[in-house]
Amino acid sequence: MIQMEKNIVSFNNTVDVEEMPVQISVENVNIYYGENHAVKDVNLPIHEKSITALIGPSGCGKSTFIRTINRMNDLIPGARCEGSLLYKDVNILNPKVDVVQLRKEIGMVFQQPNPFPKSISENIQLPLRFAGVRNKKTLNQVTEDCLKQVGLWDEVKDRLDRSALGLSGGQQQRLCIARALALKPDVILLDEPTSALDPVSSAKIEELLLELKNSYTIVIVTHNMQQAARIADYTAFFYQGELIEFGKTKTLFTNPEKKSTADYISGRFG
Amino acid sequence: MSSKVTNRIALSVIILCAAVMAGILVSLLSYILFKGVTNISWQFLTTSASPFLAGGGIKDQLWNSFYVLIITMILTIPIGVSGGIYLAEYAKPGRLTSFIRTCVEVLASLPSIVVGMFGMLIFVNYFGFRFSVISGALALTVFNLPVIVRVTEDGFRALSLHQKEGGLALGLTHWHTIKTILLPAAFPSILTGIILSAGRVFGESAALLFTAGLSTPDLNFSNWNPISPNSPLNLFRSAETLSVHIWAVNTGGIMPDVSRIANGSAAVLVVCVLLFNLFARALGKMINQKFSGK
Repeated sequence: MIQMEKNIVSFNNTVDVEEMPVQISVENVNIYYGENHAVKDVNLPIHEKSITALIGPSGCGKSTFIRTINRMNDLIPGARCEGSLLYKDVNILNPKVDVVQLRKEIGMVFQQPNPFPKSISENIQLPLRFAGVRNKKTLNQVTEDCLKQVGLWDEVKDRLDRSALGLSGGQQQRLCIARALALKPDVILLDEPTSALDPVSSAKIEELLLELKNSYTIVIVTHNMQQAARIADYTAFFYQGELIEFGKTKTLFTNPEKKSTADYISGRFG
Repeated sequence: MSSKVTNRIALSVIILCAAVMAGILVSLLSYILFKGVTNISWQFLTTSASPFLAGGGIKDQLWNSFYVLIITMILTIPIGVSGGIYLAEYAKPGRLTSFIRTCVEVLASLPSIVVGMFGMLIFVNYFGFRFSVISGALALTVFNLPVIVRVTEDGFRALSLHQKEGGLALGLTHWHTIKTILLPAAFPSILTGIILSAGRVFGESAALLFTAGLSTPDLNFSNWNPISPNSPLNLFRSAETLSVHIWAVNTGGIMPDVSRIANGSAAVLVVCVLLFNLFARALGKMINQKFSGK
């Protein structure tokens, strides 16, 4: 336990503020890929305007789970979900849910920065145009606001019409976050957003997420336990498809209930 | 034998094979150009062919080759690109999809003379289009369609899944993702493929023998009314293309300067195909640079 304490540099100091209301309630969710039972009977609350981190070793089902929250798993042939993910009194998993509308409210950022091979401003304006925004002034205003929110405005304001692929990896990832913000979603899902980035860029993204949680609900999958400890209000530990433990980050890291949680966060496996 | 020696031998054999291939191409090209380039002149390119007198040019044949090519591409690109998008994006793995894919592959491996015979039976005789530009272009469509389908499908498959996920995660529909993100991203490779296939279509002769015909009416290049029988734009007139012309003068030409015409035409044909290739490369590189922002 002593060694473990050393590992963890600092905690997100907002953990002790009062609990926010639940935005998405996960009840008995099971996910299968064909015969493979990837996520087993998961129950957990996702609190509004807080950061919830999903941690666990590779293959534990955390990415599968986060991709279910905005139905990105629909793309994978043979994937199937049971249970309920209640969001605004609707079960997200219901086949009748309009996934296009859902994804406007629950945005997602991926591990690999994936800007479109278009200009920086087009990257942000593309989803807006599709959503029906035509007014040039509004489009430019939203572009500026989103880029400012992710701290990219000063770096790119002189080259908005240049290809987004010319940006560095960290800048590309912040552009992808800005792009997700453009639609003013309620929830932002991030699937290991910093694992392809250098430490400086990662730190910038962490800082950004701490700011964004004042206005958005954030769910983040991370391989990096220190990252979870630094930014998350709540942490869920997944192992072999099961949710082993869920709780306030500080509690989970300093006083885990289960032995496997303690083993994982102290670096004994995973 | 030590592994170092094996390594050397393997490398030498591979280099030798590459050298043989490059050698064949270079000698073939230099032979054709050496024999033919001296025959190319402005006069040769802008005079009509003469059936039995010396001094004929290839104006009509050159025009026909480009005209048939353009009509073929107008017919092929929309169908082929749509088919490729279907196979890459919408088709679910299953019997129907594998049947369609088999059809595309078999179509691609059909000998062009068979495509020509088929074209004659269907377009020339059954539909009554006669030997004409449109019959030729339709036969070449059959011949070229699988290539475009393939090029499009490969272009889409080469894109990373991240692009598609990025679009869908932003609340775009599948079609809108294809239209605004995937198609523009795949465009450089599709375009390069189309231009390369254009070189193949441009040089095709067997499929055109029985469909576009071996003669051309006296074209009046000041008459651009597409329904007039001697207009260059008329789709229902016969149209001997450049490569068919080479075949025709070599097998049955009675003009005294047969070899001059054949060599000159061959050189023009080769230069055109070469230009298509170089153009495809340059364009691909340019678009790539523009997209990658470097």
